[in-house]
Amino acid sequence: MTDLFRYVPGNSVIHRLNPVTRLLVTIAVCVAAFVSGNLYYLAGLLAVDLLIGFIAGIPGKTLTIFKGLLKIALFLFVLQILLVRRGTPVLWIITDEGLLTAAKVVLRLVIVCMPLALILSVTKVSDLTNSLVQVLHVPYQYAFTLSTAIRFIPQFLEEMSMIMEAQTARGVAFDKARGLKKFSMILPLCAPLLISSLRRTDQTAAAAAVRGFSLRTRRSGYKQYPFTLLDLAAALCSALLIAGAILL
Amino acid sequence: MIEVKDLTFTYKDEKKPALQNISLTVPDGGFLGVIGPAGAGKTTLIRAVSGMIPHLFPGDFYGSVSVNGLDTFETSLPEISRLVGTVFQDVDSQIISPMVEDELLYGLENFGIPREEIPVRMEEALRKVGIADLRDRTIGSLSGGQRQKVAIASIVALRPQVLLLDEPTGELDPQSSRQVFSLLKELNEEQGTTVIVIEQKIMLLCEFSAQLAVLNQGRIAWQGDTRSVLLHAEELLALGVNCPRVTTLSRILSARLGEEQPVCTRPEEAEAMIRRLIR
Repeated sequence: MTDLFRYVPGNSVIHRLNPVTRLLVTIAVCVAAFVSGNLYYLAGLLAVDLLIGFIAGIPGKTLTIFKGLLKIALFLFVLQILLVRRGTPVLWIITDEGLLTAAKVVLRLVIVCMPLALILSVTKVSDLTNSLVQVLHVPYQYAFTLSTAIRFIPQFLEEMSMIMEAQTARGVAFDKARGLKKFSMILPLCAPLLISSLRRTDQTAAAAAVRGFSLRTRRSGYKQYPFTLLDLAAALCSALLIAGAILL
Repeated sequence: MIEVKDLTFTYKDEKKPALQNISLTVPDGGFLGVIGPAGAGKTTLIRAVSGMIPHLFPGDFYGSVSVNGLDTFETSLPEISRLVGTVFQDVDSQIISPMVEDELLYGLENFGIPREEIPVRMEEALRKVGIADLRDRTIGSLSGGQRQKVAIASIVALRPQVLLLDEPTGELDPQSSRQVFSLLKELNEEQGTTVIVIEQKIMLLCEFSAQLAVLNQGRIAWQGDTRSVLLHAEELLALGVNCPRVTTLSRILSARLGEEQPVCTRPEEAEAMIRRLIR
């Protein structure tokens, strides 16, 4: 989980794109996936996803995310073929239309989920939020909410494991429980976690306030995010992806 | 100059005042150490001087606090923050950015520091705190001590006229603690920064701070220059504030010999005293 959001430094084409362009590509892939009804085109989009990961120089992570999504996809696939009741039966209660719909749903799911995870791993959160504020004029408060949320994910996990360790030290056997039992043991820990996070929120707000939170404007950012030819090329590719989806 | 006059503050929804009739003055370029048992009101004092009280923490506020002539009650918080930098006790809640570099940039960007000056200040702050190698790291990958240094660096980069630190060495090893205090001394002496620091390691306060204030149950038990406060060693001990061993030594010698010996705060002074007495 923490790994999913960890920034991977590099100097790939993707790294050099404007963060806003990266978002644009992500959105274009998603739009194309929903517009297109062509199974081959969807498969092609999936290839584009994987290609993005490889170009960004994170093949290992790309495959990890892909494999993780495949598990969910498999579950959805089975669910779909059992539920769709139209078309001619192929085997038992499975119909040809069921297979086709299931394949499309699953492909779309994977296609839509992957680019965001990939882009987030090669983009610093601060670059993303700063460029949103500077280029797209997103109010800083929203950008701040996003960046602090991501900042506190590892903090949360750290605290959770600390609370669990404290409980283990007092004889709670988390390691012996499985499934629902374990879940019911972890659930009560959410109260202390919530309380400590809420307390922290006040402190963090104060820390931001005494460092001029309210003085910040769109032009405050030190780093600049100019658009280059590379961004233009990426935008053209995005447009082509969507155009292809509409035409095919 | 920081002037606190008859300050009494009660947090909203609390019955007991956190601070009662506090009056203290820290001159420009002063160095005040604050010590006292838990719940004595040390953090509240820092909040009052930084303007967080009354601007962020509501409650009943009596008396006045002024920083370099600005009354904190009447001046807006960003205005006070330009003068006063605060390092919080809970480092994890102070750090708002996911990356070290962004954490340092945060205040610099907000206060509108000129673009060309920003990299200079960042490098200087990182170097002074001794974490230049951590610049590109994520906060999540740092140890507690490293995070504490990042928090300190992010405030030092702002070059505040007044620096407030709430137990800045809580997560640090003895060597890094000394390093932090050496840095405070350097800022204090070279740039004339006024420093107020809450610290439980009395030895560090004795060595570095000119003034000492002992807080207990929301009141100032003793304040004055460090040596004169240390004369109350026994009463301090009753509050749970230990004195350095050399101070205890000079006190015992004074009592045994029946003549007042100077209060020692450093081993070298104790050595000189003993040599003199032996002769």
